[in-house]
Order: sequence, then structure tokens, then C-alpha cells
Amino acid sequence: MKKRSLVLRGLALLLVLLISFSLVGGCAKPAPTQDEGKGAEKPVETVKVGIIDCYTGAATTYTYDALDGFKLALEEIKEEGTLGFNIEFVTRDDEFSPDKSLNWAKELVMREEVDLLAGVINSAAALGVSQYAKEEKVPFLVWGSMSDKITGEAGHRYVFSMLPNTAIIGRSGAIQMSSMPYTKYFLAGSDYEYGHSVVNNFWENFTEMKPDATKVGELWWPVREPDFTPHISTIRAAKPEVVIVGTGGADMVPFLKAVNSTGLNKEVKIWVHTATDLSTLKPLGEEAPEGIFGTNPYHYYFPDTPENNAFVEAFEKAYDRAPAAFALNGYITGHSIAEALRKLDTFDKEKFIDALEGLTIDSPVGPVTIREYDHQIISPMFFGTTVKSDQPFLVAGDIVTLAGKDVVPPEEKIKAKRK
Amino acid sequence: MDFSAILSQFPNLSTLAGQFFVGMSRAMILFVVAAGLTVVMGVLRIVNFTHGTFYMLGAFIAFSIAQWLGGSGGFWLALLIAPLIVAALSFVLEGALMRRIYDQPRLMQLLLTYALVLAFNDLIKIVWGVHYKSMANPIPGSISLGGATLPSYNLILLAAGPLVALGLWFFMSRTMMGKLCRATATDREMVDALGINSKQVFASVFVLGCYLAGLGGSLIAPTTNIVIGMGMGIIINAILVVVVGGLGNVWGALVVSFIFGIGESFGVLFAPRFALVFPFLIAATLLMIRPSGLMKSVW
Repeated sequence: MKKRSLVLRGLALLLVLLISFSLVGGCAKPAPTQDEGKGAEKPVETVKVGIIDCYTGAATTYTYDALDGFKLALEEIKEEGTLGFNIEFVTRDDEFSPDKSLNWAKELVMREEVDLLAGVINSAAALGVSQYAKEEKVPFLVWGSMSDKITGEAGHRYVFSMLPNTAIIGRSGAIQMSSMPYTKYFLAGSDYEYGHSVVNNFWENFTEMKPDATKVGELWWPVREPDFTPHISTIRAAKPEVVIVGTGGADMVPFLKAVNSTGLNKEVKIWVHTATDLSTLKPLGEEAPEGIFGTNPYHYYFPDTPENNAFVEAFEKAYDRAPAAFALNGYITGHSIAEALRKLDTFDKEKFIDALEGLTIDSPVGPVTIREYDHQIISPMFFGTTVKSDQPFLVAGDIVTLAGKDVVPPEEKIKAKRK
Repeated sequence: MDFSAILSQFPNLSTLAGQFFVGMSRAMILFVVAAGLTVVMGVLRIVNFTHGTFYMLGAFIAFSIAQWLGGSGGFWLALLIAPLIVAALSFVLEGALMRRIYDQPRLMQLLLTYALVLAFNDLIKIVWGVHYKSMANPIPGSISLGGATLPSYNLILLAAGPLVALGLWFFMSRTMMGKLCRATATDREMVDALGINSKQVFASVFVLGCYLAGLGGSLIAPTTNIVIGMGMGIIINAILVVVVGGLGNVWGALVVSFIFGIGESFGVLFAPRFALVFPFLIAATLLMIRPSGLMKSVW
């Protein structure tokens, strides 16, 4: 008896499940058919962008900003409604691991059949995906990694850097810092591609501009260092006047926190790229050290132009927060893709690349250009100092604008590197 | 690396003192976590990878409590409550899962504890999202100690280690449960034969160990990024400490934590390029001299 009732109950459950599934399915179905109907009336070619980035872990502060900036651009393009293409995208999380990024790139190209690749904040991963993009002849727009190798020695026809790279960053820092009266410098940073590249580029440019500068020490801590205090004591022991730091992602916030709690910023000058960015200063809150020099490609409160204010307003309306630097990268990438597509009748990867080369678009920070020779975006850089504000976090003060053409390394340098 | 440049300006006493205190406070966190692990490994005889996860949970829970309560007072309450929540969670986990693997082959134990690490990582992703968290330092600013500038918060860390060591010593040698723990660690069969409920002993030890992991996580929370995966970094070092110190030996864990913490902070000062390998070099050397651990192992 007992067994039979169990069987009966099981059958009943199955029946209920089947009915509910068919009901849910029935409800969900009409929507896509309507869409198909629309598509049939007015055929629009779809360009599919495959986005690979780190959507779990410490780099997410940047990656979600970039993605949201990109989404905002797509929405604006859709609303405006004159683009003859429909831009779609899919995202993949590489968890900051280069082998995963490469696997996703293959999956996106072969299975999802994407037309373009984008994203990738991890430098090693971006270089790996770039190599694959070259082999498969798929345009790849990097909006995350700042490695100067991407458009430098490892550059090729299919890769684009949609944000200022470490060569530009190092040069920008060097230009501003060289006018200061200090002579004793300490070089430090996270022991990975980005950290070394920023500091090397800075020092290379800086010693050219200021030959009397001396290096009193050098220190590289492992990525995701849990405790910065021993490193700071080591820096202190070398008695520098200025510390040049190449760090980002997971290490930026705890490093600056340690600078503040040890009072290092009161003894020496410190330059860290993106120390003045919202994505750094907001999580730090009141614990951010004052007087830190930083370069940054974007601030939502500077420049105070109608273009920038409109972007900030739209971004805040869509995502309920102010855009940080990476939001601009995604936003510019979205609009650049659209502008390049306007020059095409039907999508073709080679023609799309031709259209992107030398393209200039208006952006929240003024006109930006994708340089034809190396596919590096040329945009302004802003140098500032962390100061207290009326917000619950510090902001950049005394902002100096460095024009894109002044901070980008000349084409001859890139040519020499690629030989 | 500019080795000669560093050597030529040999650090003065205050730098050395600073590095010493920094190393000590680093050692204390390591000790709090490793002490919990060594007790669990000694008594329960399982290689508990989940220990690092409880450390991470401690940090995340402390963050949420501190944020919920607000103000700097919030953190102190979080420091009290968060490890208790972690302990409560571990109690449930022990009853439901851990209990079943004590007699299983070691590979099974590894499989379960490692699977739990992955499951908890995703659970944290669901509860706290993928962004890293950063919490306010309850006592910002720095103090001068022996001529060296040190973050004030490090004093808390420096105090926490000895307190935990004393508490553990009291528990182990002065309470009935502690004595039972030691007895179970030395001879489980005999304890069973005497009619003592070893299940209860095991559960208490597991909860105690996880409490310490949670405490370590809550203590470190204001100084670092609270991020998924932060448990993996500490568990490797903690296992090293436990093995080198002698499995199940709390004093061994204390001594080796000191050696590691100070070795690493001086390593950063003298040969920053090799700072990362210092703990491993020390571990390898000590294990070559005393393969069963620095102090008496219970295994």
C-alpha cells in the first residue's frame, strides 16, 4: 500500500511540474515571436561584440564601470536610432586568469560567432587574446589592460587600445613631476606587468627630462599583498623625497590605506597613477591620504563642460552612481564602434578596421582619436592631488590637463619597438 | 635589484625596530589562524582547507556588521560577534558534514573540505556580490614605537596574539574539555574506551578552531581588501606553520608564526626580491632539521 501511494504521489508531482513548465513556457513564448515579426519588416544587420573581462574579484571595481559605460553608449546609439546596425554583446568572466580569457575568446569566436572582441583588464590575458585575435583576424578592442605592449611591440592590425596605456601614463607623470625640485626617487610597485611597465616608462621619460634625478631604492611587492606596512618601512629607510608607485587593482586601496595609517604621505611625495580616480578614492572614504599626486584619464567633476556633464547625468541616471575612469573607456569604445560602423554598408571585419583607423569622435573629455599607425587612442590625461572635499571621500584638486598629443609616445618610438 | 645601494645605507635602529613590530603584528594574525588550524588538525586529524574560508567569512561578516552598526564602535562589536557567527556556522557544518569524514581516507577529507571552499566562494559571491569590500579603520593614524612609526591598529594585532595564546593555554590545561581534547589528540581509542563522548569533543574542537579562523579574519578586515579568495593565501601559510611547528602543538604554531612574520618583514627590508620565498626557505630548513616539526607533533 505504502509503496503504491508513493508512486502515485511521484506521478502527481511530475504532472504538476509538467503543467507548470508548459504554462511558464507558454507565457514566455509570445515575446520573441513579436520581435521576430519586427525584424522581418526592417532587416537590420547585427554586430555581435564578445566581451571578456574579470567580473569576479578585486578588479571588478573597474570592469563593471567599463561595461556600464559601454552599455550606456549602446543605449544612446539605439535611442538616437540612425545607425544601420544593431549592436549586441555577450559577456564572459575570466576571473583575472589569462588561460580562461583565451578559452573564452575561442568560445566566443567559434561558438558565439562574435564579430568583435573587447574588454580584458589583465595585461597577460589581453596580450594572449590579442595574439588569438591576430590569428583569427577578429578585431579586438582592449578597454581594460593598460599594457604598452598591446599597441607597442606586440601591436598588429587587429588590436586596438581604447584607453591610455602605460607608456602614456609614465610620460604624463614624468612631464608633471619633472618641474618639481626633488632629486631623490624611490621606485616601487606591484610585481606584475602593469606595475613594472608604469614605473619603467616613468623613469625612462623622467631621467631624460631630469638627468640629475637619482634612484635611492627599488621595491616590488607581490600582487594582493595583504600587509603593506613592512614595505612602507623599507621605503622610509631609504629616505627618498619622492616615491613613484606602479600599482592598481587589488593593491591600490590597501596600499593607500597603509600610506595613510603610517603617515608616509606627510614625509614624502608620492605619485600613483589613478590615485585620484573615483574608483580608488570612493572605497577609501575618509581614510584616503591627502596630498598624493595622481594622473587619471577622467574625473566626473572635471572638465566642467556640457559634454562631460551630460555624460555624468546619463550615467548617474542609468546606474545610480558617478562614472569613474573606466566608465569612460567603455563609453568611448561603444561610440567608436558605432561611428566606424556608420562608414560601412554591410559589416566586414577588414573594412571595420579601416574605418576605426584615424577615427576621431567627440567624448566627454573632448575629441579623442584612434591613431592610425598603432591603434592607440589618444585622449587627454589629468594630473591632480588628493584633497578633502564636501563629499564623504577625497577628490582630485589643482587639476592640470595634459593634451593627448603631448603625452603619447611619438610614432617613431613605436616603430623602433616593433622592429 | 640594487643590492649594494641597500647595503651601503644599512637601516638604523628605529627602522629595524619598526620592521620588528610590523613583523610581530603580521605573525599574530598568522598565529591566531594557525592556532585554530593546529587544534583541528591535531584532534580531528583532518586537513581542513575550509579553515581559510572561515577566515574569509569572518572578514566579510565583520564588514557587514560594522557597516550595519556604523561608526568606529561598530567595528569593536563586529570583532566580538563575527567570529561567533562563524563558530555557529561551523557548528552546523560539523554536525551535517564534517562528522562523516573523520574516519574516511585522507583523500576523501581533502575532497570534502576543498569542495566546501569552492561552494563557500560562490555563496559569498551570492551574498556579498563580486566587488571587493574595504572597511574603515577603527583607529586611524600612527604611533611611535621604539623610534619607528607604526599604524595604531597594529597595536590591536600585537595584543590579540598573546591573548589568544593565553586563552588557548588556559583552555587546554585548565579546563576539562581542554584536557579531553589533548587526550583525544594523543590516544583516541583510549578516550573512547573510557566512555567519553568523543563526538562532543570533536564538535567543540572544530567550533573552537573555526572561531579562531573567524577571529583572524575579523582582525585583518580593516587593514586589507576583503575579497573572495583571501582565504587561500593564508591557508597555505597556516598549514606550513602547523606542519613546521608540529601538528596539534599550539606553542609550536606560536613560535613558527613569529619566525615567519619576522623573517618576512626583515626579508622585505634586506632582500625585497626574495621576500616571498623567505617563509618557504625557513620552513624547508626547519623541516630538514626536524622532519616531525619543531615541537612535538601529536600525529
